[in-house]
Amino acid sequence: MTATYRIIVCDGTSCLNSGARTLTTVLKAQLDKHGLTDKTTVSLSGCLGMCDKGPIVVVNPGYTLYGSLTEGDIPEIVEEHLVKGKPIARLAIQEDHLYNRFFRVFGDAKFFGHQMRVTLRNCGIIDPESIDDYLSLRGYEALAKAVTDMTPQQVVAEVEKSGLRGRGGAGFPTGTKWKFTAAQVGTPKYVICNADEGDPGAFMDRSAIEGDPHTIVEGMAIGGYAVGSSKGIVYIRAEYPLAIRRITKAIEDARAHGLLGENILGSDFSFDMEIRLGAGAFVCGEETALIHSIEGARGMPRPRPPYPSVQGLFGRPTLINNVETWANVPVIVLDGANWFRTVGTETSKGTKVFALAGKVVNTGLIEVPMGTTLRQIIYDVGGGIPGGKAFKAVQTGGPSGGCLPEQYLDTPIDYDSLAKAGSIMGSGGMIVIDEDSCMVDIAKFFLEFTQNESCGKCTPCREGTKRMLEILTRITEGKGQAGDIDKLERLGKMIQKASLCGLGQSAPNPVLSTIKNFRAEYEEHIHDKRCRARVCENLVTYEITEKCVGCGACRKVCPVTAIAGGPKKQHVIDQDKCIKCGQCFKTCKFEAIAKV
Amino acid sequence: MPTPLELIKKKRAEAVSRIIGKGYLSTKRVYVGMATCEIAAGSKDVMEVFRKAVSLGLTDVYLSQKGCAGRCNLEPTVEVIEAGKSPIKYGKVDTTRAQEIIERHLKKGEVIQEWVID
Repeated sequence: MTATYRIIVCDGTSCLNSGARTLTTVLKAQLDKHGLTDKTTVSLSGCLGMCDKGPIVVVNPGYTLYGSLTEGDIPEIVEEHLVKGKPIARLAIQEDHLYNRFFRVFGDAKFFGHQMRVTLRNCGIIDPESIDDYLSLRGYEALAKAVTDMTPQQVVAEVEKSGLRGRGGAGFPTGTKWKFTAAQVGTPKYVICNADEGDPGAFMDRSAIEGDPHTIVEGMAIGGYAVGSSKGIVYIRAEYPLAIRRITKAIEDARAHGLLGENILGSDFSFDMEIRLGAGAFVCGEETALIHSIEGARGMPRPRPPYPSVQGLFGRPTLINNVETWANVPVIVLDGANWFRTVGTETSKGTKVFALAGKVVNTGLIEVPMGTTLRQIIYDVGGGIPGGKAFKAVQTGGPSGGCLPEQYLDTPIDYDSLAKAGSIMGSGGMIVIDEDSCMVDIAKFFLEFTQNESCGKCTPCREGTKRMLEILTRITEGKGQAGDIDKLERLGKMIQKASLCGLGQSAPNPVLSTIKNFRAEYEEHIHDKRCRARVCENLVTYEITEKCVGCGACRKVCPVTAIAGGPKKQHVIDQDKCIKCGQCFKTCKFEAIAKV
Repeated sequence: MPTPLELIKKKRAEAVSRIIGKGYLSTKRVYVGMATCEIAAGSKDVMEVFRKAVSLGLTDVYLSQKGCAGRCNLEPTVEVIEAGKSPIKYGKVDTTRAQEIIERHLKKGEVIQEWVID
């Protein structure tokens, strides 16, 4: 049955320090005393971002926020609010910030409760095609505030003070980028949104645009005001038709409301936007390649400097940020850089969106404060590994990132801690790997992708990734040679150092990090011709065990008639004929076929 | 001449009244996930079931689409929000479940506990 009341206690670090756990104990005792335990659920949430007012308790339904609580307040809350149904005005706090809007609707569910949503604050709670929905949640107020009360320099200063870093992967300080672009004289200048999301398994940007396109429009308009640009371009891949439709509609609606175009909201500031479609080349996520693509040239990177902030699109100063970075901007302007700085770690402020996938119970799109540990993400939000399997590694940063083993589970993640551990933040792909996955195979998968997407302009990336892939392929086929690991390391480090752009510089990461953390698996593949996860087909043999009941299903399905045996007798596989297709393994209903 | 900030507040008030005009203050608000991922999981058909119910006379319901909330493996998702009650989040809503949500939850106020995302 549905509980009458659902109580959420903020379990963020700050609230913990001010006694949230003791409050929970007192609360549970009080519920017991009043016989309410069965009618109430008590859950813990991640940081709610109101650290100066902690400890925080939320009572649902009604979303009553109680702040600055002491143990003595709990009996009153239980007696007055829960028993008599009268919320206590004295303890309730009123909040009207932009961030975490979604919490009102989703906060009481475990998967959502541990998240804090800044950039995805409206995703899933508003109609993304309705500008009215966006306006009703203080939409475009940040833009209005900027043009009314702030000079462009103040906006840049606010972004700089917030500590926001680029969410596309590299983590360059956003405010610095803005300052450089703003400092350039002359017009035109351009503002670009990089929505060329290309990591396999990543869908953060698509969901953000599909769920709340106006946030991007507003963020970019604020950026235009700050750096003195009147022209914005959203570069988005053509594979995202719905996102394209929604952001196009958002731009049209904003224009119709006077929120884009000449003299926005009666001010001196004019800004308009258009969409450019990308054809889906991974390298076009690199900013100079992206700019070439918009110019109509072939999407290839060029050496920097000059940086786009000095010489970008059509040779003009250009401010280019990722979707998620832009989505932070309205929040920084409206909720303030001072608030934004309270979230995250020393060097990385705010939140990060991750596409949580792989061997985890709750797959999905999540946003958590920087400094959350991998364990919290995988076990508290993700619900752990399904099927009682053992955790093996987590892959962050997609094809540019690395695999981190168990010893990093308690590392608070930010740009620097991930880099130190041998991976990268990247744009936010996060794939959980369990014992059933082969690390060599995973490294090969990612390298296959980057090798395929290498634009070919510079030799280290074009030739180097190809050679690395050849070595990896032969290792997984059981033809690995002594010295292959050293070759991979040497080649990898050379490609990292000598490649022209981020694609090549990061392409060896999956290989190097798996060698660093799972060297034994490589050695087993090469020397023992063994794949412990039994993934690499050439290193696996199929055998029929005594569990076989002689049903004959495997015999019928075998494409090369390698299986022999009569009715109700244990069958046998002829290893010389077997092509290791795995059909028998999939077909057997009695788990009588073993991979050895 | 009003400042941009004053103008945007006026626009917000107008937007709110337009939303209310569309029936936002109905007893129940129903949100159907309509992002690419949700649509791929079948939410277009689910939306159609709700739309049809409204056109056939289901009253006091405000129906809206929404973006992806991020709960991939339980999509399509549908929320039923009612003032004074905990928001109910349904997972894996296909057309059959949608029809039952209409009959049992929207018409009779019964929360179908086994489909709730907790």
